[in-house]
Amino acid sequence: MRRDVFQAIADPTRRAIIHMIAKESLNLNAVADRFDISRPAISRHIKILTECGLIAIKQEGRERYCKPRLQKLNEVSNWVEQYRTFWTSKFDALEKFLSDTDPSSKKNISTKKNKRK
Amino acid sequence: MKNEPFVIERTFNASPERIWKAISDREQMKQWYFDIAAFKPEIGNEFEFTGTSPDGTVYVHKCKVIESVPNKKLKYSWRYDGHPGNSFVTFELFAEGDKTKLRLTHEGLETFPAIKDFAKENFAKGWTSLIGTSLGKFLEKQLSNKTA
Repeated sequence: MRRDVFQAIADPTRRAIIHMIAKESLNLNAVADRFDISRPAISRHIKILTECGLIAIKQEGRERYCKPRLQKLNEVSNWVEQYRTFWTSKFDALEKFLSDTDPSSKKNISTKKNKRK
Repeated sequence: MKNEPFVIERTFNASPERIWKAISDREQMKQWYFDIAAFKPEIGNEFEFTGTSPDGTVYVHKCKVIESVPNKKLKYSWRYDGHPGNSFVTFELFAEGDKTKLRLTHEGLETFPAIKDFAKENFAKGWTSLIGTSLGKFLEKQLSNKTA
């Protein structure tokens, strides 16, 4: 089974856990208490999140805390954002091209039929 | 386990035929897209071009046409020479009165582990804005795609 950011955020409970942990480090029991589902199920989600590198478990005294690993989460958004920027600029260029070559536009000088070189 | 593809849509003031030509005629493509010497909108056609990837690095893009339905749909594979991973770019055209909606889907981006240099400066920008905006949007989108 794959273990990466995308696997991590594929599940709604895991997304909820990420949101929770993002705001504050919580111990494992505190996380489990906020959900209606069973403790073993929560443990399993936390294990996956750990394996995906999105959270880290730190032992502090007698408690085990879930802490966010921001770098990994940035990987999701930046990487999608990069492609969004890229394709948006291409769409802008296409829009300009279509407008510049619009046969019905007054500023266009070419004939209705596309000229072939 | 499939990841949700990246999707962008825009409605252009043009007929499907004009947009089809813009995305499939190499003379027109080079005016707004890339200069692709060997491009033909024919299934099986393999082509490559040099372009700057979204992370700012210059890569040789290697592609192969998978689907081609004039004025409707064009799909090709998209990978970076010398790097692992493969993705698929699909252009779909939908006539809307005298306008045309273009939907671009880019699937398989998650297979490009090498394309990175993520984080770094953005790392410091703060978790709150990240979780509140970009990631939030991404997740919402994921969610709505899933339930759709």
